[in-house]
Order: sequence, then C-alpha cells, then structure tokens
Amino acid sequence: MTKLLSAYQGVVNETVISQLRQLGSRLTGRSVVHVNSTREGGGVAEILDWMILLMRDVGLDAHWEVITGNSDFFSVTKKIHNGLQGFPVNISKREWQIYREVNEENAVRLRPILKEADLVVIHDPQPAGLLGLCPDRQGKWIWRAHIDVSRPARSVWRELLPFVSGYDASIFSMSQFAQPLPHPQFLIPPSIDPMSPKNMELDPEELDSVRHQYNLAPDKPLLVQISRFDRFKDPLGVVAAYRLVRAIQPVQLVLAGGGATDDPEGKEVLDEVLEAAAGDPDIHVLLLPPDAHRTINALQRLADIVIQKSTREGFGLTVTEGLWKGKPVIGGDTGGIRLQLVNYHTGFLVNTAEGAAHRIRFLLHHESLRNKMGIKAREFVREHFLLTRQLREYLTLFHILSSGVDSSAIYI
Amino acid sequence: MGEFIIHDCTLLTRTSGVPPVFNLRELRERLATCGRNVLYHHFCETPLVPCFDNPDYSNDFAAWALMQLGDRVLAERLGIINPYIFPDLENLREQVLEVLDERLSEVHLVPSCQPGGEFFFTEAVTVVFDTGMRAASPDRLPEAIGKMSNGSIYYHFLEARRREPVGIDDFSAWLAGFAGQEAWCAALQTVDFSFFTLTELRDELVRLLQNGGAS
Repeated sequence: MTKLLSAYQGVVNETVISQLRQLGSRLTGRSVVHVNSTREGGGVAEILDWMILLMRDVGLDAHWEVITGNSDFFSVTKKIHNGLQGFPVNISKREWQIYREVNEENAVRLRPILKEADLVVIHDPQPAGLLGLCPDRQGKWIWRAHIDVSRPARSVWRELLPFVSGYDASIFSMSQFAQPLPHPQFLIPPSIDPMSPKNMELDPEELDSVRHQYNLAPDKPLLVQISRFDRFKDPLGVVAAYRLVRAIQPVQLVLAGGGATDDPEGKEVLDEVLEAAAGDPDIHVLLLPPDAHRTINALQRLADIVIQKSTREGFGLTVTEGLWKGKPVIGGDTGGIRLQLVNYHTGFLVNTAEGAAHRIRFLLHHESLRNKMGIKAREFVREHFLLTRQLREYLTLFHILSSGVDSSAIYI
Repeated sequence: MGEFIIHDCTLLTRTSGVPPVFNLRELRERLATCGRNVLYHHFCETPLVPCFDNPDYSNDFAAWALMQLGDRVLAERLGIINPYIFPDLENLREQVLEVLDERLSEVHLVPSCQPGGEFFFTEAVTVVFDTGMRAASPDRLPEAIGKMSNGSIYYHFLEARRREPVGIDDFSAWLAGFAGQEAWCAALQTVDFSFFTLTELRDELVRLLQNGGAS
C-alpha cells in the first residue's frame, strides 16, 4: 500500500502540503524508528499505518518495528495499561520481571536498528524498557504515551518511572494527561485521516443503502452516538435524553458500537441498553463488527446531530469524526471533548440527560444555525485535527530534538 | 530595499512545569512567577494551537475565566488586553496582575473551577525556516500573502511585533522602505486581528492590499 501526501491535496490547502515538504526536506535521510506492540488493531497501529508512509514521502527513512511477547507479557502490560489509567491493579515482582525479560528479548533483535537510528519513538508502556537496553544508542529517544496517565495507580507509576524517565522527551495528547517527568513533555493531540474508510466521502447511494439496511426513516430527525457499550459513554443517558425529546417531537436514535461481547461489563451495559430500548422501534441499537468503518461513516453522515455524551473520556476522537462530517456534536463536558466543542459554534457541552435533550431540541428547532455550525465544525477540524497537523507536529519535534538547542525559537 | 523573504514557522506546545490552578488566587500566584514564554504563549500563540479559537476572547486566561470560573467581569477585563502594545512581556505581566488583584479585591468568594476545569500552563517551541519564496516588489505582495501558510501569516503579521522594529508587522516594516506605500501600511495597521483565524486573516490581508489599502 502506498500513501502519499499528494492524495490530501484538495482536502487541505496546498500550503499545508508545501509546509510539510519543507519541514521534511530539512530532515531528509534521517532515520526514524517507531516501536509499538501490535501491527494491527487499536489506535496506535492505525496512526503508524499512515504516519510511516507519509514520513517516508516527505524524506525521512522511517521504519516501524513491533515487539513480540507471550501471553504472560501481554497480561502484564494490560495490567500496566489499566494501572496507568488509574484502575487499581496488583502487579507482582514476578510480573515486572516478565516485563523486563520480554523487553530484553526484543532488545536483542531490535538493538542494531535502534542504536543507529537518529530518532526513536517508543509508543506506550509495552516497549518502554527498550531505552535502558540500548546504552550505546546514538539518536534521540521519545516516549509517546497515548493514554491518560494523569492519575495512575501509584505502585504502577513508581515501577514504570525508571523505564521512562531516561527518554530525551515524551509526548502526551493533552496537558491533562501528563505526569511530571525529568525531560521536556510535548503535547500532540490525536487526529483523523480524512481519506480513511471511517471518514472518506461516501456516495448518496451508499448512505441510502445503510439507511435502508437499518430501517431508518428518511423523514425523521436522526440522532447518532457511536461508542463502545461502556458506562462512561453513558448510552442510557442518551436514551433518557432521546425520550425527553421524543415526548415533544418525532425523532430516532442510533446507538452503535462494537466489541461488547468480548467484555463482560460491555455485555452487561449492552443488555441494559437493549432493555431500555425494548419496544421502541425508533431506537436502533447496533452491535457492529470491528471493521464496519464505512457503516459508521454512513451513520454519522446520515445523522442530524451526533452525540458523544460521555461522563469520562480520553480525547474523544468520535467528536472530531462527527464534526468532520459537518454535524454539530452534543458532547459530555469532560476530557478532550472540551477542546473540540464550543457552545453555539461547533456544538454543545452538556452534563445531564436533560441538558442533552434541551440542546437536541434547540438544534432541531434551529435548522439554519445547525447547518452553519456544521460548516464551522468541518473547517475547525480541517485546520486543527487532520493527520497533516499531527505529522507537522512530529516533524517539528524532530527538528527541536535534532537541533540540540533549548530555546523557545529554533531557526533551521 | 531588498525583496521580502518569506519565512514559515511551526509550533509545538509543551508542558511548562507550572502546577495547574483551580481558582483565581492561585492563578494570580502562578502568573506572578511563571516564565515569560508561558505568558506569551497563552496571550499570543493561541491561533496556532490545535484548539477551537474561543470566539469571544483570544487569550487563554480570559477564556478560562469565562468558561471555567464563570466570572464574566474578569473575562471581559482580561479579554480586552492587547498583548502587542506592551514594549516588554514584564509590562504585560504587570497589567494582568493588576486586573487580577482588582478582581480579587471585589469578590467575596474566590472564583473556583469544577474538578477537571483547572487551567494548565503550557509554553511552546517555534521552529522557523526560510521557505525559499520571495516577493520581489510591493505589487507582488498580495499574491505572495495569498499563498502563505498559517505559520507564515503568524510569523510575519503577529510574531513580528515582538521582533525589531517592535510593534510592527513585517509587511508594514518592509513596505515602509518603498515610496508611495503609505496607504497599504496604514491599512495593515488597522486590521483588528483578534477576531480572525489565521486563514481568515490571510484572506483579509489579501483583500485589503488588493483594494489598494481601502477597507
């Protein structure tokens, strides 16, 4: 598969592409190695899929390496992951030993490429131990934390800290997600790929087909929330908001998500949602397969209003996806959703089902304003939340670290 | 006068090490001692940060006062501060502290935010580079501006005011070296850039210059 920056011409302004090429040309030939723990599945792999190709296209010698490990290792790293996000976990000395051993095994394989690289980006905690195992490294090493580590389980953070404190820099998605570390911590929010199946333009025929497939009425306003069936996404709150609106005017609701059957709590939440929706033909609860990207895309495009009524959220990239499709979004007043929604401009922040219902009714009543907000929302994403911005920030970081200068302005 | 050298810049935000604040008194304390780059970032670099530009106020402190402290009076007073009129960032700091002290003397309860609404102090590193593009003469400037990235617009029209000659954008400073460009210079100085995104600002500059300086 090839992915070239020129494919984004027309989606973003020509100056955006030109700026990326200029930044890349000054790094031509520099070797960059990204390391994570999976080639497929999950947000990090999705990012690396395009980032490696685009970094190569602008002149870098970019590589993607994946660490390998047994099930014991991934059980430990799952615990670390949960602990970093604040869930109480108990990780034994033996389990930390497994973490170290698997990192050592991977270091033996990866050391030749890592020690020669000009820049190494280690994604998340799984491969973080590689730094200490490459003492003769020549380049700059960056730890990229994709998760919220602002309130970690203390015991987990205490054990992990020696592995990450030696990096030259770290990257977090937002200030709110960071932890104090003895090196510069840069902030790079996530982004969406406007050419991916989840975000690309779709033909009207495909939208009609999805509408027909799920028995959605073409003449009734449609509310859509795309999310895992997770309590923090508050699907029951969305149903409650829908019912408050439904009492006043006809409306239909789609709650679509995937993967719930693998997760005992997800199954429980899904059952509660199905029970709450039972008997109402205008509530459509859809359990979608993990690769249903185009269906999700179509549902968001068919929506009159996109909802993301989370009570706790990381960055909340589904908000960006909704905004990119020109829809105002009603989102929970939490996490990264606050960065994306401004009342009356790109959508509304709400705290309760009642608040969500009020804003849904307001937007359905003000069609012209809804359309204007949709246009503004799309332009906001074009400016700030497409992958071109994320690539630019990585290239900027590479320049900062390569310069070796500690200054607020660097001339290259 | 030589040709106009078009630079571009990109910005990357980083944490500042200054602890987050939950109320107005803490904000006052931290602002009194935070680094100059922190102050500059929250007042001037917001157009380049990936976040919705607050439609009411262009500096982060005013936006926070409004949205998280719910203090409209303070937001209005902070929001009107133009950071570019101060010869030095320390003068800007003094003015901001004056506003905060005045507000603290007026309120009976110190305005505080809800959990999750705290203010995080950040700063940024800017990478600047020569694009290789030039405007050979004033009549080529509108076309050149029309092709500039947001980073170039920021660098030449906003950030320039921090550099010598202080308080003047690069376009005006360059045009002043040519005879007969007074109308353009005067027009550029009337642009109220606080309410434009960088893309809108670029379009506005092109429009102004194409109209010969007439708004």
